[in-house]
Formats: sequence, C-alpha cells, structure tokens
Amino acid sequence: MDAFLQGLALVFNFQTLLVIAAAAIFGVFVGAVPGLTATMAVALLVPITFYMDPTPAIAAIVTTSAMAIFAGDIPGTYLNIPGTPASAAYVGEAHQLARQGRARETLGTNLVCSMFGGLFGTLVLVFVSPSLAEVALQFSSYEYFWLALLGLSCSIFISIGPKTKAFLSLMVGLLLSTVGLDMMSGAPRFTFGIPDLMAGVNFIPVMIGMFALNELMSFYGSRNEGRNVPAVHKDKVFSSVPQHLGRYWRNLLRGSSIGTLIGALPGAGADIAAWISYAMGKSRSKNRDAYGTGHIEGIVDASSANNSGLSGAWVPALVFGIPGDSITAIVIGVLYMKGMNPGPTIFMDGGGLIYALFIVFFIANLIMLPIGYIAIRSAKVFILTPRKILMPIILCFCIVGAFAINNTITDVWIMLITGSVAFILARNDFPMAPAILGLVLGGTLENNFMSSMLKSNGDLLSFFSRPISAGLGAMVILIWLLPVLVRLYRRYRGTQSPRTP
Amino acid sequence: MKDFLLGLAFIVAGAIVYVVAQGFPTMSSLQYGPSLFPSLIGGGFMLGGLVLAIGHIGALKGVAHGITWRMDREQLRNMLLSLLPALAIVFYILASDWLGALLCLAAIMFVLMLARRTPLWIALGVSIVAALVIDLAFSRYLLIPLPEGLLGVWG
Repeated sequence: MDAFLQGLALVFNFQTLLVIAAAAIFGVFVGAVPGLTATMAVALLVPITFYMDPTPAIAAIVTTSAMAIFAGDIPGTYLNIPGTPASAAYVGEAHQLARQGRARETLGTNLVCSMFGGLFGTLVLVFVSPSLAEVALQFSSYEYFWLALLGLSCSIFISIGPKTKAFLSLMVGLLLSTVGLDMMSGAPRFTFGIPDLMAGVNFIPVMIGMFALNELMSFYGSRNEGRNVPAVHKDKVFSSVPQHLGRYWRNLLRGSSIGTLIGALPGAGADIAAWISYAMGKSRSKNRDAYGTGHIEGIVDASSANNSGLSGAWVPALVFGIPGDSITAIVIGVLYMKGMNPGPTIFMDGGGLIYALFIVFFIANLIMLPIGYIAIRSAKVFILTPRKILMPIILCFCIVGAFAINNTITDVWIMLITGSVAFILARNDFPMAPAILGLVLGGTLENNFMSSMLKSNGDLLSFFSRPISAGLGAMVILIWLLPVLVRLYRRYRGTQSPRTP
Repeated sequence: MKDFLLGLAFIVAGAIVYVVAQGFPTMSSLQYGPSLFPSLIGGGFMLGGLVLAIGHIGALKGVAHGITWRMDREQLRNMLLSLLPALAIVFYILASDWLGALLCLAAIMFVLMLARRTPLWIALGVSIVAALVIDLAFSRYLLIPLPEGLLGVWG
C-alpha cells in the first residue's frame, strides 16, 4: 500500500502532469506527420529524458507513444498515408470513409477504440506482469533463445503475403544485427573498417529508412497529389461513436485482446497487432464484402489492437527485459539509465516507481480523449497542406532525426541504404516488419545461443533439458510445422468429404 | 520476372555473405565462432532466393517466347523522380559539413518542392521557414550538434 501511495505521489505532481500534457501534444504532432513514427517520437524524446526524474521520463515516453499511435490515424484518414506503421492495416478503410465525408466520425471512433484498447492492455500489464515475473525468474539463456526465436518465427507466419518474402525480409534484418563486434570473440563483422559500425547498426535509422524514406520515394515516383477528401465537414467527432461501439463491441474486445497478446510477444508490435486484428475481424465479419470500401468494423478491430499492443509490449519488456516492439527496445535503455533494471526483479525492487509506471499508463490513455479531440478538430491542415509541400519537410525531419540518434552521419548513410533497399523490396511486396524484428531480436538470439552453447559444451540437446525451455522449443517447432499440419488436415478433410452423402 | 531476378539477387548476396563470413577469426577454444550466424543467414538468403526464383521460373518462358520487359518514358521519368529523396540525402551527407545543416535542409526542400511544381515564392518561403524551425528545434532545444557550416564561420 505504501508503494502504491508513493507511486501516486510520483505521478500526481505538477512536473509529471505538465510533462504528460506536453508529451501528448508532441505525440500528436509526431504521429500525425507521415514518416515520423511513434518509435521516432520516443527516440527523439530520449535526449530530453536524460534531464528528467524517472517518473516524468517514463510518463513522457508512454504518453508520446500512445498519442502517436492514435495520431497516426489522422494522416492515414485524410491523405491515405499512415502517420505510423501501426495505422497501415486500416488506412485504406479509413481513407475511403473520409472520401465519403466521414473523416471526423472515423477518427472519433478510432480515438475511443484506441483509448479502450490502451486501457485494456494496461489492465493486463498491471495484473499479469507480476505473476509472469515469477515465472521469468526461472529463465536462463536457453529460454531467452527460444523466446527470441518464437518472436522471429511469429513475424514470418503472421505476416501478410508470401512467406518466402517475409523470410527473406527477416534475413535482411538478421544480417544487419550481425554488424559490429562479435560478443564472444570481439571480432569485427561487416564493419568495413568504419569505427561507427563497431557498436552495430542502430535500428532507428533503419526504421526511418524502411518506412519513411521508402514512402517518400514512392511519392516522388508517382504523380498522385492525393487530395480527394471533401474540405467541408458535415459529420461530428463523437456523435456516431456510441452507435458503432454498441454494434461492434465484440470487435472492440477481440481487437484489444489480440492486440495485447501480440504486443506481448517479443518482437511483434502494434503494427502486427493491427494487421492480425484487421484480418481476424474481416474473416469473422458478416459484411466481409464491405471491407475495403470504407467499413467501420475493421477500424474498430484494428485501432483498438494497436494501442492495446503498445501496452502489451511492455509486458515482456518489464518482465524479461526483452523488447515487445521497437518502442520498448528504446524504453529498456531508458529504464536502465534511470536505474530501473528491467527483468523479474523490477517488481520487487521497483517500489513506488513500478506503481507510478502503471498509473502513468492509465493517465496517458485517458488524456488521449481531450487532446485527441482537439487534434481531430484541427486536422484540416492535412487537407489544406498539399503533399508537395509536406513531403520535403518530412524528408528533412528524417535526415535530422537519423543523425540525432548518435550524432553521426553514418546513421544517415544507414537510413539511405536501408531505405533504398526497402523501396525495391516493398515495391515487390516484401513485408518490412520482419526485417525490423530481425534487427531488434537478432542480437538476443545469437548472444543467448552462444552463451548456451558455452555452458553446455556444444550440446544442442541442452536446449530441451529444462521444462520451460523444452515447452518454448516445442512451441517454436509447432509454429514451423503448422503450415504442413494445416495442409495435411485440409487434404484429410478433402478425402473425407466426398464419402458423406 | 522481377521476383525471379530478386531471387537470383538474394542467392548472390547469400553467397557473398557466406564467403565473407568464412574469413571471420574463430578462437580454438570455441566450437562456434563469429562466423556461425552470418553463415546461417547467408544460407538463408540462398535458400529463400532459390525458392523465390524457382517459384517464378515461369517468367523465363515469356523471355524465351520473345516477351521483353520495356520501360516507357513515363515509367523511366517516375523511376528517376523516385530517386530524388535519396539524392537529396546524398547531397546532405556530402555538403552539410561545408554548407551547414540549415542551408542544406533549405536547399533540399526548395528543390524537392520545385520538382513537384510548387510556385517559386511558396517553395522559397516554406523552405526557409521550415529549415529554420527544424534547425532551431534540433540544435537549440534537443542539443543535437547539427553542422553549422558557412553560417558558423560567419558567426
């Protein structure tokens, strides 16, 4: 109880509340600018958090990321360009609705679903994380290896499109993760004599390249100026929301649950959560044909999933110290910096700080409503600002944003190279998410594999010698075999059905 | 055809990664050295590339029957225009130390806006104001040491 009261005092003071409000506005700005992702918003915040106490620092990150994920829907709805990758799943649906003059209604529904999803994910974080931490205390390098492999495997099997392309995309990310000094021997790998590469490839410039530069190159490669949303609004922000939520409350709950679950998978994040929820919603909908023509049902599923995924991603980050997504990968660094070492012991040693973190999550999701409403009301700027003016500004933000990570021009080169490669790959339907996850989880996978091999004198069977490790290993193998099993099952059903009269 | 060629490109890239990885030093006390993961990734590239190429091998039949892949003027123009942002980044990398971030960013925005036929005065005004805002926000507020270039020399 003392720890809880301590947590309340840490959050409800002028400095923290001011930081939350400022972070919410910053999150709206970054999320609403296409090309600037929620991850970039958090990355840009890191230098500022150096000068903050732990609670405001974490509050700033949580609020910014939650707001940015919602705000990503704004340019998606008006311009058909997702502000963040998490909005990509339903951008077509939202834009179609905007073209019908229902932009504000769509964004109002997005906002309420995002808030609900965020609160749902937070409840799971609060109630499930401490019990998970007790299990996590049993984890060693064997379990972490399987966990990383599980995340990577999921990124292929839940990706949209051909699995071979998802696999190759993952390999690109894994290759990038091997750049730098080898953990065991200290030998430099793929560094080409460049000192900046000795520490490895930072994933933020890679992400800017893969998502923003890729989008910019696509824009300049087309002649589409894309203003086809009516400039006069006849719809209202919240007037239709109760009706939509009353009709699609199952979708809201399903999207939030799926989002939290996928967010909690190491390596998967809000964008994958949104894709899966959208696909799931479509497959179970009675109005499947309406999808793609501007159907609010898909938006309810996916927009609740991406915000709940954001909270869900904190579960593995806090419990295992493994990033649930790219944002929590940065967060882990900030937590270490602030003396809150992520891992099972955080719930024992964290004291009031851990409660403060939970409270911050609730406030960040609640403040989304008023700030989001103001953002929706002022979003007309996207209709009024032509893309030919907006896009060059975004490019400049990308250049400076990539440079700002390590204050080195090498990161700008990395953004350029990865962005150009991503442009070629994306034009040929390669998904980008597995590459990012490969880069984020590659180091964890390799380092834990090497540690385990050292401990067991090279015995591969040791990966199955511990109960949790064996269970996780079985799960990974099951995921790999799933396509074969499904095919065999379908063939079996096919041979059975003609016999039935 | 594109997927077939991409498959081949991945096979070649995988082979290069594998060969380079064999050159990484391995300590005698370690069973698995720094070359293990890069070699596996190289193998993954080759395997995935092979599957992709084989899956689209039908495209070769089109080539055999005289169907060639041509790019018309519109496509060529669009492809060259799509390289503009990449060229702008190369310009920033090469010129920012000398010109400074502020001037480079302004020049990049100005040229890119003109490329999409923005009126000259609007392009000029927006480029200067946006470059000033970005430079101010990053170098003064976020304390990022953006290169000052010529403007730094002049104080």
